[in-house]
Formats: sequence, structure tokens, C-alpha cells
Amino acid sequence: MLKVENLTKVYEDGTVALRNVSFEVADGEFMVVIGLSGSGKSTLLRCINRLIEPTEGRIIWNGVDITAAKGEELRKIRRQIGMIFQQFNLVERSSVLTNVLSGRLGYINPLWSLINYFPREDHERALAALKRVGLEDKAHNRADALSGGQQQRVGIARALMQEPKLILADEPVASLDPVLAHSILGQLEQLNKEDGITVICSLHYLDLVQRYSTHVIGLREGRLVFEGDNEDIRQMTDERFKEIYGEEAERIGTGSIMG
Amino acid sequence: MSHAPEHDGEKEEKVLESWERAPLPERSPLIAGILSIIPGLGHIYIRQVYRGIGYLLLSLAMAGLTYWAHITTEFEPFPGLITVLLILALLFWAWVIVSAVLAARQRRFAPAMGLIVVLAYTYILGWQATEVNLQKFFTEFPDTFNIFTRVMWPWRAAFEREQELLIARADFANPCPEEGLPPQEPGSGDEAWIVVEPNCGEFARYVLGEGVRPGTELTVRGGGFLPDREVEIWWKDPIGQEFRPIYEGETISAMTDDEGNFSVTFGAPQYETPPQAVGVQIHEVQARQVTAIGALRVSENLELAINRMIVTIFQALMATSFGIVFAIPASFLAARNLMYGTLPTRIIYYVTRFVMNVARSIEPIIWAVIAAVWVGLGPFAGVIALTIHTIAALGKLYSEAIESIQPGPIEAISATGATRLQVIVYAIVPQIIPPFLSFTIYRWDINVRMSTIIGFVGGGGIGQILFQWINQSRWSAAGMAVWLIAITVSVLDYASGELRKRFV
Repeated sequence: MLKVENLTKVYEDGTVALRNVSFEVADGEFMVVIGLSGSGKSTLLRCINRLIEPTEGRIIWNGVDITAAKGEELRKIRRQIGMIFQQFNLVERSSVLTNVLSGRLGYINPLWSLINYFPREDHERALAALKRVGLEDKAHNRADALSGGQQQRVGIARALMQEPKLILADEPVASLDPVLAHSILGQLEQLNKEDGITVICSLHYLDLVQRYSTHVIGLREGRLVFEGDNEDIRQMTDERFKEIYGEEAERIGTGSIMG
Repeated sequence: MSHAPEHDGEKEEKVLESWERAPLPERSPLIAGILSIIPGLGHIYIRQVYRGIGYLLLSLAMAGLTYWAHITTEFEPFPGLITVLLILALLFWAWVIVSAVLAARQRRFAPAMGLIVVLAYTYILGWQATEVNLQKFFTEFPDTFNIFTRVMWPWRAAFEREQELLIARADFANPCPEEGLPPQEPGSGDEAWIVVEPNCGEFARYVLGEGVRPGTELTVRGGGFLPDREVEIWWKDPIGQEFRPIYEGETISAMTDDEGNFSVTFGAPQYETPPQAVGVQIHEVQARQVTAIGALRVSENLELAINRMIVTIFQALMATSFGIVFAIPASFLAARNLMYGTLPTRIIYYVTRFVMNVARSIEPIIWAVIAAVWVGLGPFAGVIALTIHTIAALGKLYSEAIESIQPGPIEAISATGATRLQVIVYAIVPQIIPPFLSFTIYRWDINVRMSTIIGFVGGGGIGQILFQWINQSRWSAAGMAVWLIAITVSVLDYASGELRKRFV
């Protein structure tokens, strides 16, 4: 159970990214965050693993206050939370295998890792993760030699190395074409259903939201303006839609692009 | 661009006027023309300010250069040069005036003509100032040809054989003793031998009013030498000085026959016996045969060139290495993304950048002159010069690599629960190592090329002996050095290219 309580983030330049946001995510949910660019989706996801420091509010995960964690404790929390990114964020000049292995950094002896030494079982685990995302034959390619869809699957494999209980996915398919989008989200859904990993994912495309989410929240200018389940999204009226996306937004038929 | 729009009425006209150089308000062509007596002023008057300033500067430059060409002693102008330049300058002036008048009426006047006049002026003066001389270029090339071929193909001098000297001696007395001398006996067996006949006599001598009186005619016969080879005749006087006597303007030599015998006749050389010498002086006639024997071996010059080439490569290596050591910290101080945050660091950033820019804009050859004064001539001076330039150049390139780091991987590695050190090792280092390596290899390549030149001003290495050899007109040796440099540079160029391809 992840509990977000009154979360607020004000950046140094005065931008208010999140205003008093509260919600709960039960274990095993596939929760989707929707909203326009700049509505605070990325900030929200990054507050959960503290890549960004929240200004106010608390995030409680299975009884542990993430917002209060420091140093070693924070790293132990982070290693259980996988993250995948819109721009994949692979180290492009390193091999696919090294990128995947780096998902293990929170577990292994820091000194060994400095000379690029990973235990045998981690190598096996990495190859298994690559196999799971269908890239076992690309282990020794450079990451930037892969296509966008393949790079994102490397990103998933890297997250898998963390044996995560929660995966944060920040616009994981925004840089990919629709066919690849289904392939990537399908992988996430599989992890969600088979391994019981909770997924919190921000998305742009309405049909993808309808297809994959079990729980949806909507952000607008940092405020929580919508919360519902998959069924609510299916039946969302234009007025509700405009509450999230602003007056100027038009719904372009069913299953269309939002924002 | 001058005609007014013919359709669509006022709106389009306004749009056009806003970007066209239209006179607003109307400018008088007459005033534009009169103002152009000072070239450019007319254009400024009709609001073509930059054009006007440009023409003014060009005119000033032409006037100044024409005056310079008139007074300078730098070159010998061809007759009428000044007249030609003046005519061109006046043509330009006239063109500017006409162009100003027409521009005031929104027309352009043969822009190509102005350009042609300026270019003609520039190249005529440039041709003279740099003393281009095509006649010399072609007619005097054959004189250079010998040097040129030796530089281009020096390898005959690159290898040599061990030399063996066969030498036979016979005495020659001056003047002939009263009791006479027993005739010399030919040798036998394998030893080389010679006899001189007669074995005493007079030297050639300069007699006032008469010229050179020839010496006794001598015949030297010899045997036991290698067949079909040249034998040189040498002379050794009683105090041990050896020289090659001259007979009829030439040194004396003979070819042995197929049994190793020879015979040669010449006059006794010109020789001044010092007045304090008393009695009969015994001189020695020598026949020398120099033979190359044994296997080919590397000549001393080639050996020296190779040694120096190796030193040069090491110079480049040391300079690059020292350069890296200082360039890495400097590059972090000069990386905008790391240093731009607070005022003190920003000041450090600007200072570092400034120092590196200055150091980089001074050529290594100038640093080498300074370093040669500092630590004396030799390879170390060259290393210092190259190091300074390398720090500046690599520092800049490294800092740009640091500035182009992507923040994404840093975020991703942090999210896995990695420590700060792990983030550096896994997210930052992989991003900067390849460009760092690539720039470093490239720099080493440049340093090898530079260090050859740095030797010319006292930086040691192969450049230093190349400079020496050129000054001594030892073209084959110089050619070998040039070839070694060319080979080394192209091998390194290729290798560094290949390496860089793999890293970037």
C-alpha cells in the first residue's frame, strides 16, 4: 500500500508543481496518472522515489515514511522501486549487459561495483531479465545501437534487476510509435499481473489508459482533479475531460490522443 | 527590388517598405552623389549605414595601401604599379559615387564591377608585395632538382658498408742526395706495394715572373691491390701531414687492372720546404684503395634520425600525459554546467576559460622559444611547450565533453539505490571516458606533428637535427628525417583515426 498525503512541491524558481496531492495505491494495482505536459506527473513520480525532494507532505509505503528516509535507508527503499523513463535513460556508450547489471547496484558491495565486478548470479539474473524482454541476443551490443523500443525494454530489464515491488514509469511510451507502445505496456502489464508488481505509470494516450489501467488519477496544474477506475475513464464525459485538460482541450473521438 | 508593388493595394506596399531599403523620407540623388566625394558618406545619407561604413573603410584601406606601395622598400614595384593602383582606386571611388546616386533612386549599379575593381587592386598589390616571380619559379627549378631528388629519395645515403683501406707506401727524397738512392723493389705476394720512379727529385715551385715551375715527373707503379678498382695517390710530408696532391687541377688516381696492378704518372706536387729544414727530406707517397666490404648497414645519419624520431614520439607522449594530468582538473573548472551556479565558481570558470584561451592562442613554437630560454635547448623544452598548449587545448575539449553529459542516466542510476560514487562510476564516467580518450588520442597525434617543428627552435627531437641538416645543406640526411616524420605522422594519423572510430 502506497499512501501519498498532502504532497506539495515548489521548485526554487517558485513554480508550484504539485499542490496538496493525496491518494492511495493498493498493492498490485496498475495505476495511470494522466494530465497535460507540465501538470506535475513527472514530479509526482520522482517524489515517490525521492529523485525530487517534496516540499511538504508525506509518502508512506507499507508503513515506512519514504519522505523521512535518509542515506542508506533511502537507498534500500529505492532499490525496491524500479523506474523507467520516457527517454529510456540508458548509458548509451555502455553495453546492454552493463546497463542491465547497473540495476543491481543497490544490492551489491559498492567497492566491488567500482571495478565493474558483479557476482555470477547477477550475470545470470541479467541474462534472464534480458530473455524475459526478448533481448538475450543483444547483451553485448552497445545500448545506442538498439532501436527505441529495444532500449525501453532494456530499461525494463534494468528495473527488473532490482526485484522491485513497485515500478514507476514516466511516460514510458511517449517516444515510441503506437505498436511499440502496446508491446512495452504489455510487458509492464505482465509484470503487474504475473509478478504482482505495483505499477504507477503516466500516459498520454486515452486508449492506452483505457486498455491497461486499473486505477486512474488526473492532475491539472499540480492539483488532483480526477480519481477513478478503468470504468470511469471509459464513461468519462466531455465536461470531466475538460476538467483535467482545460477548456481549450477537445476530445477527438474515442480512443484518441489526449493532451 | 526597386519597383513598387502593382497589386493588392496599400497593405502590401507597407509590408514591402518595412524591409526594403527604401528612402523614408525621400533622399536626394544629387546630395547622395556630392556626399560620396567622401566615399560611403552618400550611402550613410541614404540610410545604407553599414554599406557606407564598409565603403569608407575600403576606400581608406586602398588609399593607405597605395601610399604604402609608393614609399615602401619591402619590394621592387614594377614600373607603373602606383599608376595602376591609383587608377583602380579612382575607379572604385567613381563606382561608389554612381552607386550612391543610383541607390538614392532605388536602383543598384553593377555590384560586380565594384567587386572586380577591389579584387583587381588586392591581387595586383598582393602579387607585388609577396614578390611572386613565376619566371624564377620555372627557370630556376632545375638548379633545385638535385636537392629536390635527394630530399625526395634519400635512401642511397641511408645504408652503407664497412670500408677497408688498402694502403702501400714508398719514399720520395727531396732534394736528391749526392750519393743517389737505390731503386725501389716491387713487392711480391699478397701485400700491396708501390714503387716511385724516380724516387727523388724537385717539387713544383712558384717562381716570381715565371709562374709555377713543374716538379719532377714521377711514375708510381703498384700491385697487390684489388682488381678493377680506383687507387688514390696521397702524399705525406716529413712532419706527418697527409694531403692529396693536385696535378693539372685534379686529384690523382688510377684504375687497377684485372690483376690488381696500376701505373700512374704525375708531376711532383707544389710544396714549400720550410727554410729551417736542412738536408734531404724524406716524403712518403701513398697509394690508397678504399673498398666497401661486408653487409649493408644503417648509416650514421639514418641511425641518428631514427633515434631522434623515437625521442620525438616520446616527447609527444610525455607532453600529452602531462597535459592530461592538468587538463582534467582544469576542464572541470571550465565546465559551465558545473561552475555556473554560484558567483565564486562562476568567476573561477571565467578565469580558467580566459587563461586556457590565451595559452591556446599562443602557438607551441612560441612556447618552445620561451621554454628553451627557461630550461635550455633540448627535448625537455619541447615537452614544456607542448604540455602548455595541450593543457589549454584538451582542457577546452574535455570541458565541452563534461558540458554535454546527459542527466538521464544519472537519474536512472540514482533510482536504482546506487551510492553517489556508484552514480559517478556508472552514469558519469562512461559518458566522459570515450570523448576524453578520443580527444586525447587526437591530441597525441597533433603533438607528434608539432614536436617535429618545435625542434626547429630548440625543442630537441628530430626537428632539431633536421634544422641542422638543412642549414648544412645535407640534403640526403634531411630527406631521411623528412621521410621518417612523414611515415610516423601518417601511421599515427591512421592509428588514431581507427582508435577514435571505436570510441566515439
